[in-house]
Amino acid sequence: MPTSPVSSRIHGALLASAAVFLVVVMPALNAMGVIEDFTLNLWGKYLCYGVMAVAIDLLWGYTGLLCLGQALFFSLGGYMMGMHLMLMIGKLGQYKSDLPDFMVFLGHSKLPAFWEPFYSFPFALAMVFLVPGLLALVFGYLAFRSRIKGVYFSILTQALTYGAALLFFRNDMLMGGNNGFTDFRTVLGANLRDPATQRVLYICTAVLLVAVVAGCKWLTQSRFGLIQRAIRDSENRVLFSGYATANFKLFIFVASAMIAASAGALYVPQVGIINPSEMTPDKSLEAVVWVALGGRGTLVGPVIGAVSVNALKSWATRAYPDLWLIILGGSFVLVVMFMPKGIVGIPGQIGALAKRLRRNPGTETETPSPTQATDP
Amino acid sequence: MPISRAPRRNTLSRTWLIAGLFLVLMLPSGAATVRETIASAVTAGSSKDQREIVLSLKSSPSPEVVEWLEKWKEGAIFVHEGADGKATAVLLTGGPDAAGSFATTRLADGTPMLAPDGSPVRINPKEVDFADTDSGLRKAMKEVTDLAALADPDTAKRVRAIQDASIGQKAEKLPALLALKTTEKNPKAMRALEESIAIIRLRSASSEERLAACATLGTLKSLPARDILKTLKAEAEKSGDKALAAAAGKSLKSIDEHIATIDAMGTAFRGLSLGSVLLVVAIGLAITFGLMGIINMAHGELIAVGAYTTYVIQNVFGAGLSLSPFGHSITLPGLNLPSGGNLYFAVALPASFLAAALVGLLLERSVIRFLYRRPLESLLATWGISLVLQQIFRLIFGANNVQVSSPGWLSGNWTVNDVVFGWNRVFVIGFAVLIIVATWLVLNKTPLGLLIRAVMQNRNMAACMGIRTERVNMLTFSFGCGLAGLAGAFLSQIGNVGPSLGQNYIVDAFMTVVVGGVGNILGTVISALGIGLADQTLQQYLGNPVTGKILVLGAIILFLQWKPAGLFVTRSRSLD
Repeated sequence: MPTSPVSSRIHGALLASAAVFLVVVMPALNAMGVIEDFTLNLWGKYLCYGVMAVAIDLLWGYTGLLCLGQALFFSLGGYMMGMHLMLMIGKLGQYKSDLPDFMVFLGHSKLPAFWEPFYSFPFALAMVFLVPGLLALVFGYLAFRSRIKGVYFSILTQALTYGAALLFFRNDMLMGGNNGFTDFRTVLGANLRDPATQRVLYICTAVLLVAVVAGCKWLTQSRFGLIQRAIRDSENRVLFSGYATANFKLFIFVASAMIAASAGALYVPQVGIINPSEMTPDKSLEAVVWVALGGRGTLVGPVIGAVSVNALKSWATRAYPDLWLIILGGSFVLVVMFMPKGIVGIPGQIGALAKRLRRNPGTETETPSPTQATDP
Repeated sequence: MPISRAPRRNTLSRTWLIAGLFLVLMLPSGAATVRETIASAVTAGSSKDQREIVLSLKSSPSPEVVEWLEKWKEGAIFVHEGADGKATAVLLTGGPDAAGSFATTRLADGTPMLAPDGSPVRINPKEVDFADTDSGLRKAMKEVTDLAALADPDTAKRVRAIQDASIGQKAEKLPALLALKTTEKNPKAMRALEESIAIIRLRSASSEERLAACATLGTLKSLPARDILKTLKAEAEKSGDKALAAAAGKSLKSIDEHIATIDAMGTAFRGLSLGSVLLVVAIGLAITFGLMGIINMAHGELIAVGAYTTYVIQNVFGAGLSLSPFGHSITLPGLNLPSGGNLYFAVALPASFLAAALVGLLLERSVIRFLYRRPLESLLATWGISLVLQQIFRLIFGANNVQVSSPGWLSGNWTVNDVVFGWNRVFVIGFAVLIIVATWLVLNKTPLGLLIRAVMQNRNMAACMGIRTERVNMLTFSFGCGLAGLAGAFLSQIGNVGPSLGQNYIVDAFMTVVVGGVGNILGTVISALGIGLADQTLQQYLGNPVTGKILVLGAIILFLQWKPAGLFVTRSRSLD
């Protein structure tokens, strides 16, 4: 995308001020009592979704891989953090036991060995990145090695997510089964129900988002990003030019999984619950909607999409609970058909339309008819 | 009115009865009818006499005997004692009069019971006890009814009676079974007889008989004898009877082998039927995705359209239906057809095909035709459509599952060589075969099929030949959607119908098509059956459906490593 230096400078300034607003101004206003705790918490959730949306965009918008497994990585990160938080509950649970409540309920008397290390926060934090990263590495290696791409990749990642959700729904997985993890008390000794703790968590999320966007901006503008986009546009030519496209894709896939997982890890303490319904293929598709709606192939678009769709969802599920799915589904169809560049692309679309109108006023203003587009 | 319970200690009637008993014992059945015998038993003087008369019925067991003995036990038989002290067994007949009394008939011949003055005898059942039975008598009755069951003309009942006779391995049951064996013609009953006789003979005093019985049970591969043989083997080993232990062990082995075969057959059958379900669900997708390359995430909702159409048709044939979509209330009048329960499905099949095909047509015209060149975007747009459709189902039919009843004949089963074939699973397989044949015929033997294949092979060339590819696209897509509708009508017969019906199948359906190889119907057939068989086999050995399913998903991902384009590859020279 060639942009003039002036507009890019404006762009940068806008981004920086948005970042300052999210990281500094919002929590400050909350501390002063202007923004309610509830609202700040809600925004913390939106920003987590925003991070996940950027992760999807890195894959889909920049590399052309539509992954329907991002919700899996997101909730795996959440589960890893959740395991630590569950152990931090200690004897404050319903059953006054050192074991998490659901284990007592299922009749276990001893903590399973793989839970043991999660008492340590650094270990849990490492697992947040390692577990989804390893899964992505193995799955991606297998998929890219045999050159699975396009819709096949989407369908396979969907199946992976579906299988994982089935697995986590089971009680003998020892991950809380149907109900997942909830009723968290403390993180690093701070009470999770204290607004101050939540504020710190919000700030962490906002910082993470800014860091992820900045990092992805740097990555996509590097030589690496160039190859990435080349793979999106014509993988075979890149391959024939001597690049090992599978390795490039694998790197992006793993990075994207880790970004999504970090968002999940921050999501769990703020929302206070994680269960397998978060990792269904539908959740992945919903996140893809945010990206498409915001504008894929940009880094700000997904964030705008995630925040606006979720804000709309918070409002519509209360105001029109019956119609929410119709609104979501319908707007999605419209965006895919008429706004391929999403919200971020609207100014450009209006500009193009205005230019055409000026060129030949009163005559043909429509886009080429679908017939021609279909059967060239 | 002098009425009393039997048995009556009355010398006169006792003499008369002994004479009657004598008569009955002397004459073969036929001379004294069953009713007469029972009547004499009811009025017999002592319970010992009663037992003897009842046991005398063992020589001629018949359903009629059972019927009257049952009536006696239930208390439907009363005893009337005339002025002369003669007791008569009577039945109540007609309705009660004002005082609650009933008119009576003689049990022996069914004629009305008259007092000496010619007026009918009436009995009030509330005031009079019925003819009583004691435990000894009931035991005798059971012996007779068991024998009668062995002689039951209904084969299924007879077989069950024969099998029951072996319970407890009582030697006194043996003569009746041996007697029956000489007259039995039905092979099923014959097999059951041999089985029961052998089971009873396992307890025989003679060791040759026991060994022979063991061998017989082994050759018969008798399932009920398995546990008995196990105990016998343990006992024989304890008492040091090596020959018997060896014989029992040999028979056990042959029975266990038989059980393994049954399990394998059952698994194969269940796998086949699961594969058929997958096939029916995926065949529409094999056309829209496989042939046309459209990722239709709303495929599951088109299945639900078919299922809901079936639901509506069923209710229209029955008692009508009232719906309240979007706050409006609509009432569909019902035809109240008496045979609607079995007939509606014949109408529902084409209707669900048409309904889903129509929805598919609308989809194609309004959305999908703009996205033929952008498969990933068609995936997203159709997912949006699937959300909308799901919500529309909820608004029209409610969020809960709706009740679709399946025809009664689907609930039966068919047992061959101890393997149970449920009719619903047989139906599933038959239906899948039907749909595959129909699809194959449409694609290969109709002008439309020719056009479809031409356009899918080379769209530009087909267009140059003057084929209206737009129109073919539209028809192909709605044909695929119609097949999804058929799948819905079919799934409504074997599972729940609810707004998220399609969601349960969509991932499986896509996997089936991908494994089969895009663009090949035969590949879809093979992969559906393969996945179904693998799933059921894993379930059988792991004992857990979810683990099995997860393993199958994992296996599919690995399979695609080996064959990334599925089982059957459509070769093409183009890259990308």
